[in-house]
Amino acid sequence: MLENFIAGSAALFGDPFTIAIFVFGVIGGMLFGAIPGVSMLTLAAILLPFTSDLDPAQGVMLFAVIYCTGTYGGAITAILFNIPGAPENAPTAFDGYPMTKQGRAGKAVGAAVLCSAIGGISSALVMMAATEPLAKWAIRNIGPPEIFALVFFGLAVASSVGGRTIWKGWLSVLLGLMVATIGQDPVGGIERYNFGFADLAAGIAFVPAILGFFAVSEIFVQAEKKVTGKYDAPPVGMSFPTILELWRYKIAVLRSILVGFFCGILPGIGATLAAFMGYGEAVRWSKDKKSFGKGNLEGVISSETANNAATGAAMIPLLALGLPGGALTAMMVAVFQMHDLEPGPLVFYNSPDLIWIVFAAMFYANLSILIIGVMETKTIMYLLKVPFQFLAPMILLLASIGSYIGRGLVLDVVVMFVAGILGFLLRRSGYSIPGIVLGIILGKIGEQNFAQGMQMVHYDLVTYFSRPICSLLILAGVLTLGFSIYQAIQGIKQKSPAS
Amino acid sequence: MGKLDRSHFIEAGVWSLFFIIFFIASFEFNQPIEIYKFGATGWPRTILLLLLLVMFGNLIYAYYQGHALQQGRVGIADDEAEKTSYDGGTFLRVVTALGVPFLYAISLKPVGFYAATPFFIAAIAFIFGERKLKNIILVTLSIYLIIMIIFMVILNAPLPQGNTSPFYDFSAFMLRMNTKWQQLDLW
Repeated sequence: MLENFIAGSAALFGDPFTIAIFVFGVIGGMLFGAIPGVSMLTLAAILLPFTSDLDPAQGVMLFAVIYCTGTYGGAITAILFNIPGAPENAPTAFDGYPMTKQGRAGKAVGAAVLCSAIGGISSALVMMAATEPLAKWAIRNIGPPEIFALVFFGLAVASSVGGRTIWKGWLSVLLGLMVATIGQDPVGGIERYNFGFADLAAGIAFVPAILGFFAVSEIFVQAEKKVTGKYDAPPVGMSFPTILELWRYKIAVLRSILVGFFCGILPGIGATLAAFMGYGEAVRWSKDKKSFGKGNLEGVISSETANNAATGAAMIPLLALGLPGGALTAMMVAVFQMHDLEPGPLVFYNSPDLIWIVFAAMFYANLSILIIGVMETKTIMYLLKVPFQFLAPMILLLASIGSYIGRGLVLDVVVMFVAGILGFLLRRSGYSIPGIVLGIILGKIGEQNFAQGMQMVHYDLVTYFSRPICSLLILAGVLTLGFSIYQAIQGIKQKSPAS
Repeated sequence: MGKLDRSHFIEAGVWSLFFIIFFIASFEFNQPIEIYKFGATGWPRTILLLLLLVMFGNLIYAYYQGHALQQGRVGIADDEAEKTSYDGGTFLRVVTALGVPFLYAISLKPVGFYAATPFFIAAIAFIFGERKLKNIILVTLSIYLIIMIIFMVILNAPLPQGNTSPFYDFSAFMLRMNTKWQQLDLW
């Protein structure tokens, strides 16, 4: 492995043009990841036609680098403005933004930089060591029932976090799941809940929904504070966390690496659920659960470690089996095909140079997050000093453009502002915005995999639950729900309600 | 009525209405799918049923505990617990702050991004507290210029052009200018 890695590194840094592409990918991924709505996918889509002029290794490497640094880039705006650059950065905002409001933005961003790098580097190392065996294990053991079970577990965890009561947590998740049913049913393609709008046939895209529920609703909350005279500009805290401070969270980092890696291997799940699960597990194991959502550094650390740990893992099904796990890895398949190559087991034998340049590039891209991230962050944090009346139109415009250019539909911009107003009202009523968002993101994946799973086992529940990983995840979800129900009953009985 | 107040009834009413609308609408696509036993309605109706059950749970909780925060809940941001009550004038200003972005979104189809955006920037800056005309104009022009450079000139992103005159003509003019600029081939 070490020899291959050195050979890959030499090929990467031995050619000035390849180095230039690598640097472009690192900086481009970070910048596009940090612009709300205009995610790394936008950059990848713009660059896709140009990759035909590159070597196959350079093309795939560029996309892999963008994937690593773009996943980190979205954390910056999530922390500073409550605007996740991409869905996988949404949980980072739960505690990152409250930290900004407390004047601890530097600590949150510093932790995000370091943990993104740690998560990504660990993931890259495991990817280098174990792509082939892990891919073989995944193909034998992971199918639609397991993916549905993981979605079920993820939603069970999400409903137990956020919301003033467990009932509101559940209602939030169910609302998100209902929103996800708008569009077409995933089996027969039958149109559902279009209410006469042809554009709704494509469903509600989750980027406008996320931007609306997080970014726009946050602007509305601040607008309300401005109008009622309660607005306080967040203090700008530039102090980064110390190594000793971060060392306290080593267990959280390790746990998130494992969670992120496991979620990353699963096709279609990837970094988004990894981040939510990483955050959920941090809450579950923490002794100070109540501090989550109020500026707990562990929340930022868990989410950012997990989503970057998923990036390396997502390359495993792509490279070893030819199965893309998400939109960006699907574009990588296109890069392979443009050069008459097919990702899959044979690529390890036919193009080992390509594989090891990509592996080495992902390793160094994660390493460069550490260096470039700190420099970039210090510059971006000065944005907090811009008066809110000038920052708000800029954020709203970027969010509008981000919503629009994904599918070229004005309806998406409308959806974003409707989600913003809804988010504003639901936040005031104690509902869980993360719960709604996760419901929207996972609803379609859940339904599709449930249907495929049921068809696979011919609707026989015994066969369904005889799959060990599936039954284990379902059991974990049921236990989480059972505990939530116990909490709900206790909540009704509680004698001295908290104010 | 226990600790229930008007807001709980409104909340339950909204959820009930949501349930009724979506349940009735589900009959429009209640078709069998040959390869899938549960059809297109199985999944959404199950969610709706769960939603109804949870709504009753929420109401029962409110009956006993009112607006109290459930003990042991985690991950709740401080501002989610805040509630502000305001007088008529303030209410109107909050509604305006919420309504202007929504109007902007609706106007994108007929008016287009290029023509609607400067007015939107100025309106938001004003609503959010900027009162100096010079600052509003300066900020509007600066943000508009930055957005145009990034998305129109550098990224060539397709933005809504509008479909009514003279807004459509203005969008066409902007795009023509961009094409001429690109043809200069300065890079």
